[in-house]
Amino acid sequence: MNDQMTTNSIVKLDSVVKKFGDIFAVERVDFEIGRGEFLAIMGSSGCGKTTTLRMLAGLEDPTDGDIYLDGERVNGKATWDRDTPMVWQSLALFPFLTVQENVEFGLKMRGVSKVERIERARRWLEKMQILEFANRNISQLSGGQKQRVALARALVTEPKILLLDEPLSALDAHLKVRMQSVLSSLQKDLGITFVYVTHSMSEAFSMADRVVIMSRGKIEQIGTPQEIYREPRNRFVAEFLGSANIFTGALSRKTGVYWTIEAPDGSFEINAGKVTNKNEGDSVTFIVSAENMNVRPTGSQPNGITVTVVGEEFVGATAILFVETESGAELKIQKSHDEFSSLDTRPGSKLAVHWDPDHCHVLPGE
Amino acid sequence: MTGNRNIVINGLLKLHILACLVFIFAPIIGSFVFSLNSDRFPSLPLGHFSLQWYRLILEDPFVWAGFFNTVFVGAIVAVIATTLGFGGAYTDFRYNFIGKNAYLALALLPPTIPVVIMGLAMLAFLSRISLSGGTFSVIIAHGVMCSPFAMAIIRLRLSQMDPDLEAASWNLGGNEWATLRHVIMPFTKPAIFAALFITMAVSFDEFAVAWFVSGLHETLPVKILGFLQGQVSPRINAIGSLAFLSSITLIVFAQMLMRNPSTGPVEK
Amino acid sequence: MSKRPSLFSLVLSLPLLIWQLAFFLFPLLFLVAISFWTVRNFQMQPDFNTGNWVRIFTRSAFWDAYLRTFCLAAASAAITSAIAFPASYAISFKLSERARRWLIFVLIIPFFTSYLVRVYSLQVFLSDAGIINALLGKFGIGPFPLLNSTFGTLVGMITLCLPLVILLQLFSLNFVNRDLVEAAHNLRCARFRTVFLVIVPSAKVGLVIAALFAFILSFGDFVSPLYLGGGNPPTLSIMITDITKSGQQWPRAAVVALTMIGTLLTVAFLSIRFAYRERGE
Repeated sequence: MNDQMTTNSIVKLDSVVKKFGDIFAVERVDFEIGRGEFLAIMGSSGCGKTTTLRMLAGLEDPTDGDIYLDGERVNGKATWDRDTPMVWQSLALFPFLTVQENVEFGLKMRGVSKVERIERARRWLEKMQILEFANRNISQLSGGQKQRVALARALVTEPKILLLDEPLSALDAHLKVRMQSVLSSLQKDLGITFVYVTHSMSEAFSMADRVVIMSRGKIEQIGTPQEIYREPRNRFVAEFLGSANIFTGALSRKTGVYWTIEAPDGSFEINAGKVTNKNEGDSVTFIVSAENMNVRPTGSQPNGITVTVVGEEFVGATAILFVETESGAELKIQKSHDEFSSLDTRPGSKLAVHWDPDHCHVLPGE
Repeated sequence: MTGNRNIVINGLLKLHILACLVFIFAPIIGSFVFSLNSDRFPSLPLGHFSLQWYRLILEDPFVWAGFFNTVFVGAIVAVIATTLGFGGAYTDFRYNFIGKNAYLALALLPPTIPVVIMGLAMLAFLSRISLSGGTFSVIIAHGVMCSPFAMAIIRLRLSQMDPDLEAASWNLGGNEWATLRHVIMPFTKPAIFAALFITMAVSFDEFAVAWFVSGLHETLPVKILGFLQGQVSPRINAIGSLAFLSSITLIVFAQMLMRNPSTGPVEK
Repeated sequence: MSKRPSLFSLVLSLPLLIWQLAFFLFPLLFLVAISFWTVRNFQMQPDFNTGNWVRIFTRSAFWDAYLRTFCLAAASAAITSAIAFPASYAISFKLSERARRWLIFVLIIPFFTSYLVRVYSLQVFLSDAGIINALLGKFGIGPFPLLNSTFGTLVGMITLCLPLVILLQLFSLNFVNRDLVEAAHNLRCARFRTVFLVIVPSAKVGLVIAALFAFILSFGDFVSPLYLGGGNPPTLSIMITDITKSGQQWPRAAVVALTMIGTLLTVAFLSIRFAYRERGE
């Protein structure tokens, strides 16, 4: 397998399995990470994303399968013999050392001379704009400053790859956005690979070149943020992204460029160009994003259904209306406040929703 | 939650706390007072202030010999017990293995066995393997009794440590030995010193085992027992007060180390 | 991480294990062995002789001492727990965080005073012409024979156990969910009833374990029975010291010691099982 590895990838996971006792934390995962790529691994807690990262770092050993780092199979290689520094969710800064000593730590472990250690640590502190805190105790720093110390400590050994385990989750929204841009520009400047584990879609999508979505130890989809957002592969990804309405039905007949689909809540049309490898009678699942839903007070519309209002949530300049179909399916409609103002949006009232058949996306993995 | 009844009950409860403290500390404070009293057998009204008992013990070469022996044994026991306890605490912190419960029971149970029985068992066993009678046997016995205390203190400190710290050190290129030296030991340093002082204090006080095991090499508590068995002498109070002061000094040192803010636990 | 234990893990874990095996478990097992040995011409000889067990177990003096020791320890555990509970309850529920921390520190101090010195001091308090009787005499009562009595023994044992029992009770009471107490008040359970219906059951494990420690300490104590109780009739611990000191009858002392360990293990097992027993199916 090793020789098939493209020279461009720095990490390759080949059918990697990790079991804790009888429980699969990671179940047959395959992917490669390119040199200089910013890859985000995303999923909810317990999906195996952190275990995958820890296997790259050498903190866990795979139960089965192979991991290659820079062309070398590293199964069983101790973490201290790898060059895969990690930034922890807790940051894991040493509280008994000063900022400077924390940054020097990795160099000290590699036997770098004291003079060079100090010189390199200070260079990185300066790069991260925290040189003035060099002799402070860790407990005297703010959250953002600690973040920069953790980055400097990991990067001071000039690795080819940096692993990050939800490093921003403890920060407030403002600081989070600022650190995102720090991370993005840092990664571009250094030209090294970042592997970034997170449960936050906004973090993953705003920084990463490619995103891996995991659930229950398996990969659900790999792709650029645009690909994943526009064309989720399956129901899990669509639900995880959370902004789309999901419908399932059977293909009944094809009229021109449209297929008609029989679903529990009625029959809908869908652009036939989006349906591949399916025949009459096959089940299809498609999504319509919440912004693409249109809503009227009453009356039946083509490609529409009657729904009952459940509740409303305000999201900045827009509102999300939560409604329920006759079969009990839950749908979301996102519009500006103006568009909703002419409607009766009290819970229990009836509304008519419809959408453009060209705005549907069929999930290929269902 | 107001009303006279509650005030009365709370007052009575606080009075009860006070009564318990008086009961617990009367003998301790009494011993101090008696040690500074001229009467051989103090009662009310107390005799006049006197340092004669201190003078008597300071002039007694046996007391001095016993004292040096106690300090010597205490220092060695502290180092041994803290080393053993550190290993045990780290083992419990880091590893899971079959038979861990048995390991922990063996490590922590000795203080629950009555000292008389421990003394008997050790004397019988050590004399069989020709180790009894020396300072050496006292050290062995005290090592058994004190290492659980050291282990508990250091384990408590380890439980305040973010487990990622250790992983972070490995990840930065430190192998297990380097991590032990550069991360685990600095983090547990206050607890290590506290354990040294506290095990030394426990060794000071642990007389019965020593009494059974040691022959001629008496430690201070054994000397005290000798006084008790012979004629009752208020010199005990003087010795006890001095021993207490040294123990408390050790404990205060330990407390100060445990509370040092610069080495405090990580905020999570 | 790895299947085989690393050198590192062995270096850290084995010294304590070896030390406690060699100098704690082996001596106790050796005690079992010598309980079957025989003594000839003041010398112990390896043997398999159940005679020591038979001899001790058929002596009524042994059973008298056994019963006395057991009752003393049980009484000490019960009385100490009863005295300690109102104090630990008040410390846990009525005092400020700061006061509580100070009291915990103060209660640790007695562990670092010599028990023997405290007992000697108590002799001065309790003797016929001692402090207590002198105080009582001012009110025209007494003197009472406080020393060399069961009362004296119990006072000594309670002095030994009280700080530990208060601390152990305190730690378990601190873990009682305060919401439970408020919920009980909210359901119209009065304060006094709340203590017995809510707080005591919630802290049961800690309370039982505190009493167990008092029992263990008192059962093995020989200082109080000897110097405050007069030593006659003897308790089991005094019996052991007497047998060892008078000649080389160590096998018999071993029998007494093993009976004590057996009793302690049984009591510990039963009380821990009682402490952790859950209600309901």
